[in-house]
Order: sequence, then structure tokens, then C-alpha cells
Amino acid sequence: MQKEEVFTELIREHQALLYKATSIYTDNKEDQEDLFQEVVFQLWKYFDSFRNDAKITTWMYRVAMNTAITFIKKKKRKPKSVSVADVFSTQSDDKDDVLEERLKLLYQHLQHLNTLERGLIFLLLEGKSYKEIATITGLSDTNVGTKISRIKKKLKTNMTK
Amino acid sequence: MELEELQSAWTQMSNEINHQKKLTNQIILDMTKQKYQNKFTTITKYETLGAIICFAIALVILINFQKLDTWYLKVCGILTLSFLIVLPAMVLSTLKRIKNIDILNGSYKENLKLYVKTKNRLLRLQQIGIAVGLIGLVFIVPVTSKIISNKNVFLTSLKTEQYIIFTITMVIMVFFCKWAYNGYLKVTRSAQELLQDLE
Repeated sequence: MQKEEVFTELIREHQALLYKATSIYTDNKEDQEDLFQEVVFQLWKYFDSFRNDAKITTWMYRVAMNTAITFIKKKKRKPKSVSVADVFSTQSDDKDDVLEERLKLLYQHLQHLNTLERGLIFLLLEGKSYKEIATITGLSDTNVGTKISRIKKKLKTNMTK
Repeated sequence: MELEELQSAWTQMSNEINHQKKLTNQIILDMTKQKYQNKFTTITKYETLGAIICFAIALVILINFQKLDTWYLKVCGILTLSFLIVLPAMVLSTLKRIKNIDILNGSYKENLKLYVKTKNRLLRLQQIGIAVGLIGLVFIVPVTSKIISNKNVFLTSLKTEQYIIFTITMVIMVFFCKWAYNGYLKVTRSAQELLQDLE
């Protein structure tokens, strides 16, 4: 199989991962699309350097999150409700209004977190263990645990406001 | 909304998106080749353009430096040249540092730390640029006036309307500096918190 074919297959296979990663760091559809393209571009650029000793998704998370760092725009004063919910609702034939409303709320809460916190909570929501989160972010396992419990507290406070 | 609900909404969304394979091979391949614009390349473009303009003006001053025939005009010329060369060069080197962030091997933590620090440096340079620009009026105006119209403003008495224009410009610049500085403080404060979090 040609390199292009392997790559497109990989992106198609994991496009949900990329949609979600890019939605965490952006607050509108246009920025998300820009970031999505930039991440795909970076993945392609470094595709030859991917070593099979790492899990492909771990590598993708790392490239996506590292790319997002330089992409973050200045925080807006008023957090807006968000992109992937829009992408998702336009993609789906039978819209789930309840889910959409919950996603809007979810993204509103995430907008209150800083870049590090967003990255950590994203990986947690993705079902990653503290060890995996540590591998992707470069933090120690215990540090991940401490920070995540702090983020949970912060989210809880925001939710009850 | 409870934390558990966040998790369940996320999982439900993941399941839905997983079933939607919207991207075609062609779209993906376009993304790997397309020369599209993103926010960062736009910033770099404006900063580079600004730097080129500054360097061009510096070159014109250098070529005409002999026209600055008194010691104080020469001092103004040197200060203007420093302002036009050093600051843009520092901004460009800072932008280069951001562009060189190791996306492949660097950890999220280290990259984030480097990015926040470099971004702070960029903001600081922009602040210095504004402040020096304000003070710079004192030394840039005599240099350009001498080079363009061969007038030594130190020896020319200003008309009333020129005094008014000068005063209004200074007042506007002071307010602009104050506004920009407040914005800078706000951004760096949150950046500082993030850096502490990363330690």
C-alpha cells in the first residue's frame, strides 16, 4: 500500500479523535476547521517519523495537542457555545436535541479551563488512564492525578454557580 | 450538569461521531498539500511585513546619514536606527522560536511552557515597541524632517497649530499605551498562573 493510502486510511479511521481534540481548543467552527487542517498537515509532515513502538493514537494525541498550543487564540470575554456540537448536529440526520444541549453546556464549562486543564480533561473524557495521560503530556502520574482532581473541583464549582 | 453527565455526553458524542466517516481520501490529501492560512501564519506575515518596512526605512536613514550634520541629529539618527532594527529583529526571532516548537517529540507540558514564555516575550516586545514609539517621536521626527525636507526642527519655531497637533498626538499615544499595557497585564497574569501550574 502506498504511503498516501495508509495515511488517509489512518485519518479516516481516527477522524473523530481529531474532531474532538480540535474542538477542545477552539470556540468556533472556522477556527476548528483551521486547526483540524493544521493537525492533519503536521501528522502528514511527521508521518515518516512515526515509530511503531508507540501506539498510533498516542502519537496522534500528542501531535494534535502540541499543534493546538500555538494555535490558541486570545480568550474571549464571554465564552460562546461551540463548534463540534455544530459539526455534529449538521452531520447527523436525526438530531438529538437533548444531547446537543448537553454538549453546549459541556463546552461552555470547558471554556473556563486554561490550556493545560483543557488538555488533561480532554484525555480524561477520552477514557485515558492517568499513566497514558502522563505519557502524552509529559507530566508525572501523580502530578496528573493532582491536577485532574483540581480540575474536577473547578468544574464542579462552575457548574453549581 | 454533573461531572458524570459531562462524561456521558462526551461518550455519546464520541459514539455518534465515530459512525460518521465524513472525510474523503481526496479531502485528506488536500489538507496535506493545501497552502491554507491559519492564524499563526497571519501574525507572522504582518510582523514580517512590519519588520521589512522598518528595515527599509532604516536603510534610507543609513544612506542619508551624512545629512544629519549636528551631533544631536546624529544621536537622534542612531536612536532611530536602533529602534527600527533591534526591535523588529527581536520580534522576528521570537516568532521563529514559536514556529520551531517541537510538535513531534516535545511533550505537551514542555511545549506549553515554552509557548507561554515565548508569547510573553512577544507581548513584552510589543509593549516596549509602543512605549519606545511614543518616546521615539522626540528623536524620529527631527531625523525624518532633516532627511526629507532638510529642516532642523530644533532650530525651527513651531506654529500654534503644530503645537496643538503634537499635544493631541501625545495625549492619544499616552491613552493608547495605558490601554495596551492593561491588556498586557491581563494576558500575562493568566499566563503566569498557567506557568506556575506547569512547574
